[in-house]
Amino acid sequence: MSLSIIESCVNCFACEPVCPSDAIYEATPHFLIDSKKCTECEGDFAVPQCASICPIEGAILDALHVPVNPPGSLTGIPPEKMAEAMAALQAH
Amino acid sequence: MELPVLNDKPAAESGCSAGSCGSTDDQLDHLSDEIREKVQNHPCYSEDAHHYFARMHVAVAPACNIQCHYCNRKYDCANESRPGVVSELLTPQQAVKKTMAVAANIPQMTVLGIAGPGDPLANPERTFETFRMLSEDAPDIKLCVSTNGLALPDAVEELSKHNIDHVTITINTVDPEIGAQIYPWIFWNNKRIKGKKGAKILIQQQQKGLEMLVAKGILVKVNSVMIPGVNDKHLAEVSRIVKEKGAFLHNVMPLIAEAEHGTFYGVMGQRGPTAEELQELQDACSGDMNMMRHCRQCRADAVGMLGEDRGDEFTLDKIEEMDIDYQAAMEKRKVIHQAIEAEMNEKRAHKAANPHELPKLTTRPVLMAVATSGQGVINMHFGHAKEFLIYEASPEGARFISHRKTELYCSGDDSCGEAETALEKNIRTLEGCEVVLCSKIGYEPWEQLEQAGIQPNGEHAMEDIEAAVMAVYVEMAEAGKLNESLAQKRATA
Repeated sequence: MSLSIIESCVNCFACEPVCPSDAIYEATPHFLIDSKKCTECEGDFAVPQCASICPIEGAILDALHVPVNPPGSLTGIPPEKMAEAMAALQAH
Repeated sequence: MELPVLNDKPAAESGCSAGSCGSTDDQLDHLSDEIREKVQNHPCYSEDAHHYFARMHVAVAPACNIQCHYCNRKYDCANESRPGVVSELLTPQQAVKKTMAVAANIPQMTVLGIAGPGDPLANPERTFETFRMLSEDAPDIKLCVSTNGLALPDAVEELSKHNIDHVTITINTVDPEIGAQIYPWIFWNNKRIKGKKGAKILIQQQQKGLEMLVAKGILVKVNSVMIPGVNDKHLAEVSRIVKEKGAFLHNVMPLIAEAEHGTFYGVMGQRGPTAEELQELQDACSGDMNMMRHCRQCRADAVGMLGEDRGDEFTLDKIEEMDIDYQAAMEKRKVIHQAIEAEMNEKRAHKAANPHELPKLTTRPVLMAVATSGQGVINMHFGHAKEFLIYEASPEGARFISHRKTELYCSGDDSCGEAETALEKNIRTLEGCEVVLCSKIGYEPWEQLEQAGIQPNGEHAMEDIEAAVMAVYVEMAEAGKLNESLAQKRATA
């Protein structure tokens, strides 16, 4: 069982030092989680540390490939509002 | 412990309360000699110094431990100039190399700050490694750091070891209810904590950190972002509290929020304050403490004088090819710094010996825009100015109010429509000003400015800004131009 980081990662380094298993490493084009080392923080913390500090919605997936932080959960911006704003910008 | 109060004058009888009211050098005049010594060549802490000295930020600190509604962690745009934005993340080694390259090429650079793009103290290893190397390799550079304050109490000991004598804390509120509207979450004790609970912890840490820094004798500047409808009514109280605790300077900055930034405030349509609202709040706070009005809200990798960014000249590829003899550079820097300080001291002494003999006036105040590239004189062509400094002239003297950029934050689409020319935009930027002082100006802008009710003036090229502002003011008063109110003038125009 392991979490994973996907391409929306912005390489902010926040997750790397908080991982109790040293499972996270810098890579190109973005940070990765070594699935052999990742424990999902079981035994160390109540919640996975990387997903608790990551500022980017959707960048970290759980073992079932579901985003731990879904759209809107961190910024507070309702997804439809974000889509609306982006559509307005595109229309320019 | 009773902390020294730097500016405890009650709202003055002159009608002009304390703070940086009066001529700009007052801002330093009421500081103790010890503090003045520390800030006199720091462009971000001394209004006087920002005309002469340059600063740089190195982007070594990408991680953050909180989320603010005015920040988007995905952002990197070379055309953007605002806090939190960078183009190239540096390792501590690269940062040291870049700092020394800049110091050798821009000798008036006195200050190296770490300001992000995340929170410097949420990246303690990278931040302190950079400071450690710089204090050894480039001892003539002042080091400073800015932080959201969450990790500050744990970092104070380490900060004092590196001889960092300037710290900026961003404090937007002391009320968790308001905090919950600014900070959606913090990462604290291995958990993401949302809402009011998170904001309360952040506020406690900020206040504790402020107290600990002051107890160590480290100078603290407090930055606050003015967010209309959220904390605008509350910031005067914040100003009072941080002053009581010993912060020596308060910098109230306007919220920057555009939908294209993808921030919560930008997307949700939260507006920033108008120039008038910002000035009103700064004036309200200045009764309580020393206010800073010359902040340019620069990028986390800015290089150069405030208001300019020469980062392009010092990219990693370029500094790789530079061969820097830092010993030689340090000698050269020392000579140049001494010359600048001598010039500043001479000016200060000259002013003290020759106080402006103002005729007794009871006329209304006037806003004037000034085009300058530094040294405290009017030395910029109107058409070349990327920003204008705004001064208020009144019977009490000249005081610096703010700067206004002539370019918008983003060069992309904006709401004013494409038909508006750059000149029209710049004229709109000067709204509220009645005079613009510059070294030279072309015929076309001259005419358009006059039509907009702004008098261009190129007669004071290379003269001291404040002296020129007051000379023009006295001239206006004597010509009877200030007898009618601004509203009447507009009505007849």
